[in-house]
Amino acid sequence: MTYAKPLPNVDDDSRPQWEGFKQRRFLLFRCKTCGTWYWPKSFCRKHDNEPFFGNLEWAEATGRGKVFAFNIHRMAFHPGFANDIPYVYALIELDEGPLFGTNIVGCAPEDVQVGMPVEVTYEDITPEWTLPKFKPARAV
Amino acid sequence: MGKPRYAIVGLGMVTGPYPEGITARAAEAEAGRQAIADAGLRRGDIDGAVQLRRTAGGGERTPWADAFTRMLGVPAKFFFTVGRGGALAGLGIGTALGFLELGIAKYVLIAGGVEDWKSSRRTKEQGYRGMVHSEKAGYWGKPFGDLRAPSHHSFLAARHMYEYGTTSRQLGMIAVQQRAWACLNPRAKMYGRPITIEDHQSSPYVVEPYHLLDICLVSDGAVAFVLTTAERARDLAKKPVWVMGLGTGEVAESLWWDKQNYTHLAVKSAKEAAFAQAGIGVTDIDVAQLYDCFTGEVLFQLEDYGWAKKGEGGPFAEAGHIGPGGDIPVNTSGGLLSAYHYGDLTGLSEAVMQLRGGAGERQVKGAEVALVTGHGGELISPGMCSIHTSLVLGV
Repeated sequence: MTYAKPLPNVDDDSRPQWEGFKQRRFLLFRCKTCGTWYWPKSFCRKHDNEPFFGNLEWAEATGRGKVFAFNIHRMAFHPGFANDIPYVYALIELDEGPLFGTNIVGCAPEDVQVGMPVEVTYEDITPEWTLPKFKPARAV
Repeated sequence: MGKPRYAIVGLGMVTGPYPEGITARAAEAEAGRQAIADAGLRRGDIDGAVQLRRTAGGGERTPWADAFTRMLGVPAKFFFTVGRGGALAGLGIGTALGFLELGIAKYVLIAGGVEDWKSSRRTKEQGYRGMVHSEKAGYWGKPFGDLRAPSHHSFLAARHMYEYGTTSRQLGMIAVQQRAWACLNPRAKMYGRPITIEDHQSSPYVVEPYHLLDICLVSDGAVAFVLTTAERARDLAKKPVWVMGLGTGEVAESLWWDKQNYTHLAVKSAKEAAFAQAGIGVTDIDVAQLYDCFTGEVLFQLEDYGWAKKGEGGPFAEAGHIGPGGDIPVNTSGGLLSAYHYGDLTGLSEAVMQLRGGAGERQVKGAEVALVTGHGGELISPGMCSIHTSLVLGV
């Protein structure tokens, strides 16, 4: 059966991160000089940079965070999502700082709350693509 | 206040839905024809043209980039497209001023048209909802179902609700008051269809916390206007509407995930520049055309411009300041929510009509200073609508 939803729209700036998802690695862009984390890929804002991100790298992050804001989609804008509604789309405030947009799965939409601890979970949608979604976090 | 150096001297407007066979390109050309005639000019006078087009914020739509100038037959010496999401008129004016200043052009025709209603009818038959379904290169959220503007704009309302206790009813009162304006505007889509707060509350959730009635329309139509220098403006058919101030702000002034970006629009820099040039404060504004893709954006701007304190926009809107008879009339055409969605050209056309005193039943008495704001252009999904433009017009 063909996959009926839009696939990731990837370019060379985001490709390494998508390769990481496939290997169950949650990569963010990190400054090697001062340790600040970025997503999406950026020059470091805290000091001067080496040419073409020489002082930054994709590095494995915790894949943990808290719900910063969320909504509940109750209509399907695209026919591929008709069986998914209602679904939650959220901004996750990652432990490393950046906000990350993804779905919250593994609980009812009504149970999602701002501030709720969440962690990454991976969904292989095709042989080529893996989506990083978030679910309520287990206790650490 | 400095002496204004530029003015809008002609306005043309086509409102949809289009009859069979009319394109956005043709509507731009027709609105342009009207604007030139309105100014008392002839086609041969137009020596520059700018097309306004939503780019980042509304998806990439180039199929009508063919020149409306060719269709209209104006001898423009330059023609190109600008726009960022719904920030159109402010950026178009900002761009055209350079050509007037350098003496390259004397009269610049600026126009923007859409055929979103027509397109949305077509894509609805294929099972899609909302505007024409288009992919955006490098766009993050589509695999997760971040598919249309409410998918990410609703984060703003959600976060404001969380931080300040703002309620859906308070947002709904913005929609109700704008609908009351629309009911005074015979060209508005929702003319003759008043709503109550109960109608808002019982309208279905599209993307919670947004109900259907928190969300703007999709429209067919076009707006065009002629911009010229102050000395030329005085000799034309209509009373000039002066460009008193223009400013811009970008969310990317700070890190895009800075928390303030979820309870503020990028108003601060835009407002400071525009108000300083115009020599005005917020209390000098007689009529405000605030970009209203959703009710939340109006609420944020009521606070960001200073009509209400940060966090108190909800009670302010609920108390009824912004509708007919209110002390700060907002979106007097009905706006994007209830009249027609041409980006900030909806607000620009309405501001010109109000300042000329020709807004009919909805005329705000003695309107001399108008604010028009523009908004749009996501950085990335989760999308922050990045730009904000402030345009102060006056007579």
